[in-house]
Amino acid sequence: MNRTPLSRRTILKGLGGIAVGLPFLEEMSLWAAGPTPQALVPTRAFNLFFGLGIPAPLQSEGFDGVLEPLAPLRDKLLIMRQVDQLRCDEKGINAHFDGASGAFTATPPNGEARAGGASLDQVIRRAHYPDGLPPGMVPTLIGGTFFRRSRISRYVHSYNTDGAVAGVMQERPRDLFERVFGALALPNSPDSRQKRLKRSVLDSVVDQYKHFTGNNSPLGSASKGRVAEHLDRIREFEQRTYEMTRKLPNAPERPASSALAHGGRADPGGQGIDITLEELSTEWRLMADLYALAIETDRVRFGSLTFLAAGERIRLKGDYFHGGKKIFTFDDAAQHKASGDKGCSHEWWHKFNEKNDNKALRAHAHMKMNEIAYFLKRLDDTTEANGQSILDNTLLTISTESGDGRHNDTKRELSGIFHAITAANGRFKTGQIMDVKAEGLDVYNTILDGMGVSDTKLGPAKREHRAVEAIRV
Amino acid sequence: MSQLPVKSLVLMAFVALFGLWGWGRGRAGAEPERSGRGLIALYDFDSPDGTVVKNRAGVGATMDLVISNPKAVRRRSGSLRIVGDTLISTKTPSTHLTEAVQRTREFSLEVWVTPAKANQTGPARIATLSKNGSERNITLGQDGDKFDVRFRTTKTNSNGIPSTSTAAKSLRPKLTHLIYTRDRSGRARIYLDGKMTTEKMVPGTPANWDRSFKLALGNEHSKDRLWLGTYHLIALYNRSLSASEVRQHFQAGPTAGSAIAVSSRDAENITRFEEDIAPLLAKHCLECHDTSSRKGKLDLSRKDTALAGGKHGQAIVANKLDESLLWESIDNDEMPEEGDPLDAQEKALLKTWIESGAHWSLERIDPVNYLHGGGSGPVWIQRLTVTEYIETVRQAVGIDIAKEAREILPRDLRADGFNNTAYNLNVDLKHVSAYARLAELIVERMDLGDFARRFSKSRKFTDKDMGALISAMGMALLRGPLEDHELIGYRGITTAVAAAGGKFEEAVGFVLEALLQSPRFLYRIERQRGDGTSWPVGEYELASRMSYIIWGGPPDQELMRAAADGSLSSPDTLAAQASRMLADPRAVTKSLQFATQWLNLDRLQHLQPDPARFPDWDPQIAADLRLETLTFFEEVAWSDQAPLSALFNAQFSYLTPRLAAHYGLQSQGPGLARYDLSSTPARGGLLTHGSILSIGGDEASMVTRGLFVLHDLLRGVIAAPPPGVDTTPVPSRPGHTQRDAALTRIDDRACGGCHKKFEPLAFGLEKYDGLGRFHERDQFGNKLREDGHILFPGDAKATPFTTSAELMDLLAESGRIRNTLTWKIAQFSLGRPLGAREARTIAVVHRQAQEHGGSYPDILHALVTSDLVLTTLTEFSN
Repeated sequence: MNRTPLSRRTILKGLGGIAVGLPFLEEMSLWAAGPTPQALVPTRAFNLFFGLGIPAPLQSEGFDGVLEPLAPLRDKLLIMRQVDQLRCDEKGINAHFDGASGAFTATPPNGEARAGGASLDQVIRRAHYPDGLPPGMVPTLIGGTFFRRSRISRYVHSYNTDGAVAGVMQERPRDLFERVFGALALPNSPDSRQKRLKRSVLDSVVDQYKHFTGNNSPLGSASKGRVAEHLDRIREFEQRTYEMTRKLPNAPERPASSALAHGGRADPGGQGIDITLEELSTEWRLMADLYALAIETDRVRFGSLTFLAAGERIRLKGDYFHGGKKIFTFDDAAQHKASGDKGCSHEWWHKFNEKNDNKALRAHAHMKMNEIAYFLKRLDDTTEANGQSILDNTLLTISTESGDGRHNDTKRELSGIFHAITAANGRFKTGQIMDVKAEGLDVYNTILDGMGVSDTKLGPAKREHRAVEAIRV
Repeated sequence: MSQLPVKSLVLMAFVALFGLWGWGRGRAGAEPERSGRGLIALYDFDSPDGTVVKNRAGVGATMDLVISNPKAVRRRSGSLRIVGDTLISTKTPSTHLTEAVQRTREFSLEVWVTPAKANQTGPARIATLSKNGSERNITLGQDGDKFDVRFRTTKTNSNGIPSTSTAAKSLRPKLTHLIYTRDRSGRARIYLDGKMTTEKMVPGTPANWDRSFKLALGNEHSKDRLWLGTYHLIALYNRSLSASEVRQHFQAGPTAGSAIAVSSRDAENITRFEEDIAPLLAKHCLECHDTSSRKGKLDLSRKDTALAGGKHGQAIVANKLDESLLWESIDNDEMPEEGDPLDAQEKALLKTWIESGAHWSLERIDPVNYLHGGGSGPVWIQRLTVTEYIETVRQAVGIDIAKEAREILPRDLRADGFNNTAYNLNVDLKHVSAYARLAELIVERMDLGDFARRFSKSRKFTDKDMGALISAMGMALLRGPLEDHELIGYRGITTAVAAAGGKFEEAVGFVLEALLQSPRFLYRIERQRGDGTSWPVGEYELASRMSYIIWGGPPDQELMRAAADGSLSSPDTLAAQASRMLADPRAVTKSLQFATQWLNLDRLQHLQPDPARFPDWDPQIAADLRLETLTFFEEVAWSDQAPLSALFNAQFSYLTPRLAAHYGLQSQGPGLARYDLSSTPARGGLLTHGSILSIGGDEASMVTRGLFVLHDLLRGVIAAPPPGVDTTPVPSRPGHTQRDAALTRIDDRACGGCHKKFEPLAFGLEKYDGLGRFHERDQFGNKLREDGHILFPGDAKATPFTTSAELMDLLAESGRIRNTLTWKIAQFSLGRPLGAREARTIAVVHRQAQEHGGSYPDILHALVTSDLVLTTLTEFSN
């Protein structure tokens, strides 16, 4: 795994094993140098989710605490404190589910695999593009690096009006790349959704054949050879059936296959997986780079990106450096003195106590902000026709599932949930940390107002909207 | 494959047949018998010195014990006394023992010991399979004046507590016989000196036994639980022992070491002869020196004739190499006369054998048992054949996919006489794409919600609910419980569906697609790795073996229940299940598949006789021929449940009017009808069926027909024709019949040696033409005959017959034919060619089947309750 962070330059010059050709950007980019009229900047909205949240007391520390990595971007962000999502509470369910479902929707879940309503990005998409996006564009791009899958809202954060997911989750960098830049064909399965699901079936089949050819196989040598032969044929079948047959003209080269666990193996029954910071960061940054590239090249304008799921189950290991200094040495299982799910990072949230130093939780939250900042900087690197960066021109809503990791107090858990937004091309205030003291639903509807969506409101139809004008310019 | 597994297997086979541990057998009433069934380890302390205590069970070389401090023990032949600090332990984990107990869920430990004193505590370790003072699978210890057994289960702690103890003062410093035995239900008993003294329920199963633990005597592995005393015998079994067995073992006494040693040497001699010498003689000598050829009047296929010698004198003189003419001629490369001389390794084997006594364990060396390595090749995993796949889908999800499966799956090709021969069931891209497409089609036709409701009422996607549903569906489709990694994989599919906004039914459908493509669905996965010896198969493996052998499909719920509660492998349950399954119509279907493949009836689909020669041929007759043979087989095998050899002379058949006309018989009405042939001498028995007779082609070749009888009915062996020989069939002509052509070949010096062994087998069929019609004269007016003689393999002389009907009676009465039927059914059932490795077990199956009547169900019943099905030869694995 490459520990060196993947800079945009690295990506663009095809170094570090990820070859994306420079000429591609020059030809496909919509924007020329120098400011041009604002109308050339498209309306875009993305939801950016990170798992487990930041306990409200830590948010109050501003950029001196776990928000430190966001400090270089402080002028580009409006950080909102005291945003409550209590209305998202689903009885008997903790915030890993209902709080996560409420992120960007402000509604409780509606069943196992549906949110209670549309997410911000999708409402804006439908309002601005009622007849659909320009041809060839990916309507909604959903991606993420995450390892907890038991419920959808833990990791998917774009929902249609009926609460159904707005697209297929791309959990491998290569999947996301193919969704954006590939032209795919699959016999009997014309749509890419079907293809993805068929692929998940095949992934499961391949894993089983691998098991019976591996060291733990119960089979003798002749039988193993036979199964290995079968596995080879499956791979050949996979290549012929599922491999990207062609790319869009001038598209970059595909990234290498991910070496991390995905699919079922990424969440072994909620017991968690072992992962190093280097592995996590490398995979996420490649995902973030590709997602940013998709925005830069105007292949996508709406969607969501997830960095670690709600109630994430990982046992992280590795030294964490920031700003040239070592922040912490992650070793969750050893530090918890536990294995399985009890040795995972999310236990730090369960154990949060404002009277303690919460050192491990702080380090985890700090690291998450660092990775969120990585994606934001990627978007800030590219200047658009109006002279502002993509980050400035885009509505980016950042949130999470809870304001406190302890499940024994619903009110505390669903209060003070971290939120941040970008300026969305001058529509919202930035450069502040604001105690908005409002419901998430009101904040979201105010955002919709600001984005020019006047005829659609989230939440109950009869409820009186209480605009949070303070966030608007 | 290493030498170890085969040698061990032969030794085991010997144990099973001759009761290696059954000292006293054959001496009726002299001494009680002991059972060797389920014996995993046996230590008789026979060796008077050394640092190793040998495991005499003959299974599991890894279970020899090593004495850490030899100065702390006193050894005599038959006992070992611990007088100081030591540990007597296996060097490697006793995985074989642990897994064997896990498979059967039963266990017995037998000891003959003399404790040094009655106040040892700890408990002091008499025998232990453990890691340290707190982690064990099983430990027998001395706790003061009591014996204490800690048997770990899923309901005890890792220390095997609560333990099972004998009463206070039950342990005294005297020679004591103790047996601890625990059955599958958890009932544990301790017998002291043949009498039950303790009985207790020890609930749970040994599923959590740790495979890394080692067996030890005299101490804990942590060396802090020393036991002082004398060992006379220790035996460990993977089954419970009955009260009567316990009494017998007690009565047999502790000093049986010498009997075991003698038996071990016998077993080694058997191994040497059957592994090394018999194949060598079969390969190099028997073509000229078998019972029928007897060149130089020497028959090397039988013990008495071989040792008696030939016209030049004694061929083999035990212990006297210089006087053994066989050795002299081979050492000088004078023999074999025609063929390559023996290589140095073969000569060395022969030399050692003669020098060590020329022990001969077989009544007769049957050359066919040694063909192609004698079945000693690797054990291949069995892919489901197309037919099995169709049946498995039908049973598992209730969908008939036969039409599509037969269209898009590649055909299974015939190898060694059957199309289910595992080594030949390979896979190609077309299989993979077909399995994927068929899985789609199957799922499309299913009512997924209804199917899922069979297993769970919940429709939630949560870990708990969806996990439970997948586990239950997996159990049903994959013929055994899912492992965690499998569940995780399938769970990944459902989360992917959920993440794509899919519904419950869609998730179920995709999981089913994956299950239908799983290696555990498409193959019969079994545990094949072990210590190179033969292990009992797991309960679910046994359920699958039985169902695919008897039904050609997956186990039903009753069989799965018996596997789940661990009772299937117990003899009574096994026999009852076999009987139940044989009463099911699926058993009939499977038997017809056997008949179809054994007789190669699929060949009839492509029968295209020369229209000029057979202008009246109606292609529909081919189907009628097939129907005749299969209906006939079904009546003999199932309706009559007659000895299967009755196939050769049963006086009836089933004909359509078209086929009756083809045979020249008066039609008895429309449709398929039963014809009594008792007054039709030309008909009656399989070999008078056109389906079989057409095997010789238009010319009714005696070569082809004779070879069919030799190979497929008599299990005979014949060398391939030498290269360059013209094998073009010789057509009949005026004055020259097929028999004349055959006699010409038989009289030819170059050809006759072999042709005389098989062409006469077809003489009795001469009056039947290439399509099975009966004639007195051929198309040239040549008069045809039906007399001849048949030489059964192993017989010295051919048996004459004057009519075809007499030939059929000879075949029906032939022991060789009956034996062949058992072998063929066993081969088809196991999906692999069988040979010397399985010969002894097949002999047991055959004998039992014949004792019960020799019908097809009798053979199947004996087979599925035999070690051929109950055990698997593992491959040595680190």
